[in-house]
Amino acid sequence: MPSSNNLRKQPSRSLSKQDELLSIQTQYFVKLEDLKLTRKQKCLRFVYDTDTKKVMGRTPTSWSKIGLFYLIFYGMLAALVAICMWVFLQTLDPRIPKWQQDASVIGTNPGLGFRPMPKDNEESTLIWLQGTNKANYLNWFDNIMEFLDKYYTPGKIEKGNAYLKTCSYTEWPTETEVCEVDVKDWGDCSRDQFFNYYRSSPCIFLKLNKIYGWTPDYYDDPYDLPPDMPKHLQDHIRNITRLEERRNIWVSCEGENPADVEYLGPVQFYPPVQGFPGYYFPFRNSEGYLSPLVAVRFLRPVSGIVINIECRAWAKNIHYNRAERMGSVHFELLID
Amino acid sequence: MIRGSIYSQSEGTTRKGSQILGADDARNTAVSVAVEVSAKVAENRKRLKQGKSAKDNVADLKEELNMDEHLVPLEELYSRYNTNVETGLPSAIAEKMADEKPNRLTPQKQTPAVIKFLLTLFGGFSMLLWIGGVLAIIAYIIDYSRDSGAPRDNLYLGVVLIAVVCITSIFSYYQEAKSDAVMKGFLKMQPQRSHVLRDGKWSEVDADFLVVGDIITVTYGNVVPADIRIITASSFKVDNSSLTGEAEALSRSPECTDDNPMETKNLAFYSTNAVEGTCTAIVLRTGDDTFIGKIARLVGKTKKKETPIRKEIRHFIHLITGLALFLGAIFFTLAMTVQKQQFLQALVFLIGIIVANVPEGLLATVTVSLTLTARKMAKNNVIVKNLEAVETLGSTSCICSDKTGTLTQNRMTVNHLWYDLRVWAVDPAVEDCFQKEHNSFKMLYSIATLNSRATFEETDQSKPLSEWRTSGDASESALIKFCQQIRPISDARKDNPKVAEIPFNSTNKYAVTVCEQRDEGGRFVVYMKGAPERVLARCSKILVCDEEAPLDDTYKEHFEKAYKELGGLGERVLGFAYHNLDTSHYPPGFQFDSEKPNFPCEGLVFAGLYALIDPPRPAVPSSVKACQSAGIRVIMVTGDHPLTAKAIARSVNIIRDETVDELAARKGISESQVEPGEAKAIVVSGQKLKEMDEEEVQNIIRDYDQIVFARTSPQQKLVIVEAVQNVGNVVAVTGDGVNDSPALRQADIGVAMGIAGTDVSKSAADMILLDDDFSSIVKGVEEGRLIFDNIKKSIAYTLTSNIPELTPFLVNVLLNIPLPLSTIMILCIDLGTDMYPAISLAYESAESDIMKRRPRDSKKDKLVNNKLLQITYLQIGVLQACAGFFNYLIVMGDHGFLPKHLKGLREQWDNRNINNLRDSYGQEWTYESRKNLESMAQTAFLLAIVQVQWADLIICKTRMLSILHQGMRNKHLIIALIFETTLIILLTYAPGMSVAFRTYSLKPIYWVSALPFACLILLFDEMRKLIIRKYPQGWVRRNLYY
Repeated sequence: MPSSNNLRKQPSRSLSKQDELLSIQTQYFVKLEDLKLTRKQKCLRFVYDTDTKKVMGRTPTSWSKIGLFYLIFYGMLAALVAICMWVFLQTLDPRIPKWQQDASVIGTNPGLGFRPMPKDNEESTLIWLQGTNKANYLNWFDNIMEFLDKYYTPGKIEKGNAYLKTCSYTEWPTETEVCEVDVKDWGDCSRDQFFNYYRSSPCIFLKLNKIYGWTPDYYDDPYDLPPDMPKHLQDHIRNITRLEERRNIWVSCEGENPADVEYLGPVQFYPPVQGFPGYYFPFRNSEGYLSPLVAVRFLRPVSGIVINIECRAWAKNIHYNRAERMGSVHFELLID
Repeated sequence: MIRGSIYSQSEGTTRKGSQILGADDARNTAVSVAVEVSAKVAENRKRLKQGKSAKDNVADLKEELNMDEHLVPLEELYSRYNTNVETGLPSAIAEKMADEKPNRLTPQKQTPAVIKFLLTLFGGFSMLLWIGGVLAIIAYIIDYSRDSGAPRDNLYLGVVLIAVVCITSIFSYYQEAKSDAVMKGFLKMQPQRSHVLRDGKWSEVDADFLVVGDIITVTYGNVVPADIRIITASSFKVDNSSLTGEAEALSRSPECTDDNPMETKNLAFYSTNAVEGTCTAIVLRTGDDTFIGKIARLVGKTKKKETPIRKEIRHFIHLITGLALFLGAIFFTLAMTVQKQQFLQALVFLIGIIVANVPEGLLATVTVSLTLTARKMAKNNVIVKNLEAVETLGSTSCICSDKTGTLTQNRMTVNHLWYDLRVWAVDPAVEDCFQKEHNSFKMLYSIATLNSRATFEETDQSKPLSEWRTSGDASESALIKFCQQIRPISDARKDNPKVAEIPFNSTNKYAVTVCEQRDEGGRFVVYMKGAPERVLARCSKILVCDEEAPLDDTYKEHFEKAYKELGGLGERVLGFAYHNLDTSHYPPGFQFDSEKPNFPCEGLVFAGLYALIDPPRPAVPSSVKACQSAGIRVIMVTGDHPLTAKAIARSVNIIRDETVDELAARKGISESQVEPGEAKAIVVSGQKLKEMDEEEVQNIIRDYDQIVFARTSPQQKLVIVEAVQNVGNVVAVTGDGVNDSPALRQADIGVAMGIAGTDVSKSAADMILLDDDFSSIVKGVEEGRLIFDNIKKSIAYTLTSNIPELTPFLVNVLLNIPLPLSTIMILCIDLGTDMYPAISLAYESAESDIMKRRPRDSKKDKLVNNKLLQITYLQIGVLQACAGFFNYLIVMGDHGFLPKHLKGLREQWDNRNINNLRDSYGQEWTYESRKNLESMAQTAFLLAIVQVQWADLIICKTRMLSILHQGMRNKHLIIALIFETTLIILLTYAPGMSVAFRTYSLKPIYWVSALPFACLILLFDEMRKLIIRKYPQGWVRRNLYY
């Protein structure tokens, strides 16, 4: 760089203050040869200056020096970030999230999800069934199977060292065990029946979001049920005589509006307990753990009409807010 | 030819006899103002527009030159203007005329406020933000048309962006308008009253209401209210300094003495001062038609150059805008093609990239910084008209200064005496520097006191004598002020009443009075003063050491030597003589006749010489030195005589070495034989300048270090300033007269004098020195340089956070991770947390003696250069981005989304219908909860930026010194740190913020994670500065010092 050359030139001792001033002044002067150049020539000179061999204002040596600097700088920075990240990762447990439930943003209010998910339009929650159209119901069938695959072949994903246990209300899993979710003998809502999609009385599968360490607080006292709980669910709970069998997260599905209720018709649940049995909770990120499922079968929904359906999960520590879709799930059903 | 100056000016040896010639030149130069200024400006305009308007101007000028009102008989003039010298104009007609065309200068056409506002609204970065805002609204509309429940984020963003543009524009417009208003108030002239004859009655009206044809009277002390022709006058004198810059009282009388309107005695011009006598006159031209009005108007049309700081900011805006559009375009296409994003999503990226790239608050910061400095300068009596001019002085590499009134006091002072055959220097600081007891001196005192028309108008003991107001011309005032110190002149005059008087006239070049000496029993004495050689010619004796010796050749040689010596110093030399009249011929009570002198004016006794000079202001020599050591060249450009100019230049350090003419005289060669390298100093007269073309003028500026231009006309001042600029300098021009205005306008920064300056010069200038003190310029240079440095620091500080703002969007597109920083948060930083800290850097004190540094080279030392961009964008910015991402990853990881899991997650993450997104621990997140997590991670990112900006603020305090040297004395900066921190706490934890800015309260642990990076920034930068200090010529200094 020319400026650097100027800087390096130490003024000789004999140079008086005035000379210094004059030599400083000359730095401001427009170089006469510069005036002759056109804009284009100046640009070209910038790209490659034949006199100084400068490419884009720097000589190749200069470029390599600055390149080396940044190589070292970024190299060291990357190393530093890597160290920081490593230190951070050391603070994490591979199986247990650092922040859980209320300490975490995820909270203690698990969301409810449904399958099949409409795939053609991501923004939509409409299950549009054309019962006579085989392509259509096979489509939905594949959609569900994609989800249920791991339930039908549990060992397929987990590499098999988890101990699958067939749990019951009396036999809860130990720390090392996970409960089996048996979807094979769900009658009309089984794979063999094509989940009844071809009969226009489809099964919708519900599942609760997994939250590490979350334990439900059951509605197990038949005389202490919330007033907004559907009547038939209250009856169903009261009909269960054994206390341990009432330790379920109950599920209800209804039409959102009175008209929807009417169009929807009767609903059948698998497993018949109409809920997620308590022995599946809490979720401890154990290998082979599968979320419990509830299949809802709409026996005779009116066709040709979009029916708004809301399913709710019931436990004392699942809060419900329709607007924010808390503790519930919403979808539409249209059967042609 | 008529001169205003009573006495000629001595020029020393080079002059051949006619000492008056010099003064004539001065006058000629001065009077040619009109022609040359106008012609020059017209020429400029012609070049600029080549249009009809230029022709119109030339036509205007022709009209000016063809003026005949001073030539025609008065009666014809009366009938031409339908007026009557006895009754004046009928007031009804006059008032109607005054309504139509008031007698005042039309203010310069200002850009209309609306246009100014629109320019700020759409100029600079505003356009980019408009684009961003409109795109955001379009994005919302598209979104809304698909799904009426679409989140309104984009709508809010659009509205906020547009609001930001509007608010910042209103702010900067308001700032500019405020400084404009200051000036307007300043320029508001005091309403002048004027005596006018209308309907046969004299009355007093506002000068604004004068019309052509009015008969008026002007008395001393008044400002001439229009261009007028004298009808009757009694010892009427005007001071044309507002036109010519030369303060001389010029007599005015009814006779037409010259065809040239500028030289004839029967015209007086608008805005000049009547200093003596009274006159009645007829108004010829009013308002804009006056001579001053024409110059003022044409000066207003000279195109003002772009200020250096504006140039720098434009360069910077181009750079940043280019970068923003370039990155925006690349990532938009990348998102659309490679990532197969929806148009809407890509649009959101584009907006984010634009918003991140634009430092929204920066222009406001710069405006505030400049305003603060302007306020600081106002305290030092420097008023800044144009905010940006604050910095221009800092970039100045050459000052072209007028002499009179700027470098000098514009007040003649006795500097030397010559009597008893020796020169006595008068030094007010030294008592008894000359022999007061000698008879010769007593005689000099008597002559100066008694042969004088000057009197004190006030005798205010509280003020120093030199500031007392006097009537009379400059030389006589200087003399009576000098004499007053010896003995009050009123006493001397009382004892010696004046009985006869021959006033000065241009043929005699002397003035004579006869006084009665009461102490000596009523003896009469003739006193004479005048041009030394004329006075000497009338003497036969000389007073030497109390004795009247015959004036022989030895004494004449002595006189010649002293006269040459004093003249060579550029001083105005006056000769004094006397004659004690014989009481037998002139007994007490003798009737003297002034008209037909009946007393001897020859055979006098020569008493001695007074040498007067307009001395430099006391602080000027040191100020010039300060400028020079700051690498600023000071060039004197004056209308004054070369010798005087040189003498003053030497005494104020503008010339320090042998000049070309001195060298030539020493070597006995002609000046043209002197090689440019041989001498460092040169005095160029207007005469020589006239023969040079632009290139030769430029060569002089290139070849000589110390330059004085003397005897220059206003047009030549303009040429000189242009040449200095074209050589590559940033030029400041100081001046006070109308004749300086074109140069003031042409300069990069024009500095006018507040007290001595004319309104025209003030309106042409960018800066006004209220106390007329040249040393204020030095202060201004210092402030200008400091603010340039500090704005640079502010920019470095502000630009750094662009990288941590920008990278989230880039990574968002490239790696498809959930957005690490929202656009609204970028605005929170740019317009919130970063604002005050950036402004506080304007208060930062200088790192080193900035006045020992050379001025910046406007071609190389850019405000924003590639080194600054490298350090901010590629080094500190990257470090900051790392801190931000680290915080983001920690929050995500702590909640279950490990870094490796995040890649490619964005699409599902942002899908409102996926309510069970799995994290690395198998937990399933609803849309709502993971959006909350996103907010939290973004808030952590935001917090990290604020925290590393703490460090950034501290490293930006200095460019070279360690923070340990500089200290933390800037209390605004400390308050800014506290402010910044409080703001981020509010943003994070205050209720309502989560709705407005989508922030989420953070666990205390996340206040720690970015701190290592802040420390790293401090360490890294301290190391860089250490190496820079240690190896001033090293690679680091050359590549990493901005």
